[in-house]
Amino acid sequence: MYTIGIDIGSTACKAVALKDGKEIVGSSIIQTGTGTSGPGRVYEDVFKAAGLMPEGVSRIVVTGYGRLTFEKADNQISELSCHAKGVHFLMPQARTIIDIGGQDAKALKLSPAGTLTGFVMNDKCAAGTGRFLDVMAKILEVDVGELAELSSRSTERISISNVCTVFAESEVISQLAAGKKREDIAAGIHMSVANRVAGLARRVGIEPDVVLTGGVAQNLGVIRAMSEILEMNILPAPMPQLTGALGAAIFAYDEAIKLK
Amino acid sequence: MRNYQEILDTLIDVSKHPLRQVKEFKARTGHKAIGCFPEYVPSELVYAAGMFPVGLWGGSVENSRAKEYVPAFCCYVLMSDLEYGLNGTYKDIDAVIIPSLCDTLKCLGQNFKVAVPSIKHIQFTYPQMRKIEAGVTFLESEYGRVLAALEEICGTKVTDKAISEAINVFNDNRRALRRFVGLASEHTDVITPVIRHAVIKSGFFMEKPQHTALVNELCDALSALPVSKKGKRVLLTGIMADDDAMLNILTDNGLAIAVDDLAQETRQFRYDVPSEGGSAMHRLAMWWQIFEGCSLAYDPEKKRIDMILEDVDKYDAKGVIVCMMKFCDPEEYDYPLLKDALEKKGVPCLYMEIDQKAEAQAQTRIQAFSEIL
Repeated sequence: MYTIGIDIGSTACKAVALKDGKEIVGSSIIQTGTGTSGPGRVYEDVFKAAGLMPEGVSRIVVTGYGRLTFEKADNQISELSCHAKGVHFLMPQARTIIDIGGQDAKALKLSPAGTLTGFVMNDKCAAGTGRFLDVMAKILEVDVGELAELSSRSTERISISNVCTVFAESEVISQLAAGKKREDIAAGIHMSVANRVAGLARRVGIEPDVVLTGGVAQNLGVIRAMSEILEMNILPAPMPQLTGALGAAIFAYDEAIKLK
Repeated sequence: MRNYQEILDTLIDVSKHPLRQVKEFKARTGHKAIGCFPEYVPSELVYAAGMFPVGLWGGSVENSRAKEYVPAFCCYVLMSDLEYGLNGTYKDIDAVIIPSLCDTLKCLGQNFKVAVPSIKHIQFTYPQMRKIEAGVTFLESEYGRVLAALEEICGTKVTDKAISEAINVFNDNRRALRRFVGLASEHTDVITPVIRHAVIKSGFFMEKPQHTALVNELCDALSALPVSKKGKRVLLTGIMADDDAMLNILTDNGLAIAVDDLAQETRQFRYDVPSEGGSAMHRLAMWWQIFEGCSLAYDPEKKRIDMILEDVDKYDAKGVIVCMMKFCDPEEYDYPLLKDALEKKGVPCLYMEIDQKAEAQAQTRIQAFSEIL
């Protein structure tokens, strides 16, 4: 039996095709989010990647910020439940998940059985999210994917506000104007994100293993900063952008079995 | 007996048109309307003076002029009350009574007085030490000041007998609303979160006897229906949950309100004013002494937490939604205690920050909470 999970985020669309609820047979990531061509493209792409036709798929579950407007799925489930499901599948030892997406950040608490028992989300603010990194990378004139490497060469600690993206942007411009090194500023930016998200994680109650998911989990600079602030090892999920879609695909499988 | 839907339609309509209600009362009676600020005001005194007590619980408005007087971290319900005063929305309100229940209210009263000189301002203070006799005596004297100001506005003296009659009228309303809350919990198929809120809220914009009669009629009609506890049952706690968009998200995600602990709702009518024990004014002041379960009423034992836990059991609530009024210090101070207590009891808890509008993430938060339940 094949099922598909689609995660329509604010800045990227992700999809996973699953065989018998266990084996990933295809996946796709399109780097544009809800309200763009991304949802339609990721839908077509995941079928191609898995070599499947729509009639060969038993059930589709959609999740993510754009889940309510996507019409090709059989059901929609919140991204919090899907991340919990996906991460538990990949890393059953995970008890805390920190998910940093394009425009929100979440901390999730899992039971040993992998069920979601509590969560905290960021408030109406881009600080501590992928959007914050995008804005800062632009000022530093680097691709967001290059920020981690840049920060790894930092020699001096620079503090950047974690309260407001707009204030932080002005702060970074001032630091650049003051002749501070881009490497140090990049490291400061990662500490800013990590500080903000660590606050969320502490509110939900941190219990190891702590797993980082979402697009920002690909940034080693943020992982280093989070490990330092939380004083523990932070494990990036093996396929951090896809855990929500994977969880949705597993939910789709569970539902399909129940409906049989 | 009328169909319950007819009664609900009336109450919902009233809850959506408070200013029309004020205009209609004034045109019909020639009497004045007195705005009662959140959260607790002795509205009985307004009624006893023959005037219309109107609950002023703000609304969804873009606060612009109010920011000239208060900082951005002022709670939205009070900021929007000031905005409505400044932009003329409250032009048919003749005076406002503002209780000094929190730091924001203390300052806002002064701001309102200066910023909206066209509306008479009556401010009073609740005693912190409310359990001692001196506290009751102090509050009686504060209520005396409020009454004197009201007498000046209405131009007549208000007798103790009139206050006593007003207490009876308001207690009847409290009893009707308690009955409604109990029945609403057993008829969640009909009484959705939005409807439940409208029934209670409409009481702030109707003459009390009329509201009591309608609520009792509604309760009779509900009693005749089969019990239906449809949905995942939750308890709402906080200052208020006034946003229909947010309440509809609860319904859309299969949640039903088992009971509430909201200042705008159950906390208003959980206790009656004592029907015996001294003058009417004294008994009115006694209400604040017997009142429990609110972050705004000083209680070193924090009985509110246990009261919520008891209600979780009594009304079979599977989860608690904390409707945290943004920037409300008193409620924020209670939250860690409540969170700990609920965790110990194994009751899932959702923290929702309440602002002018349902936040963009409200759908995701509530849906995920429903999925947990």
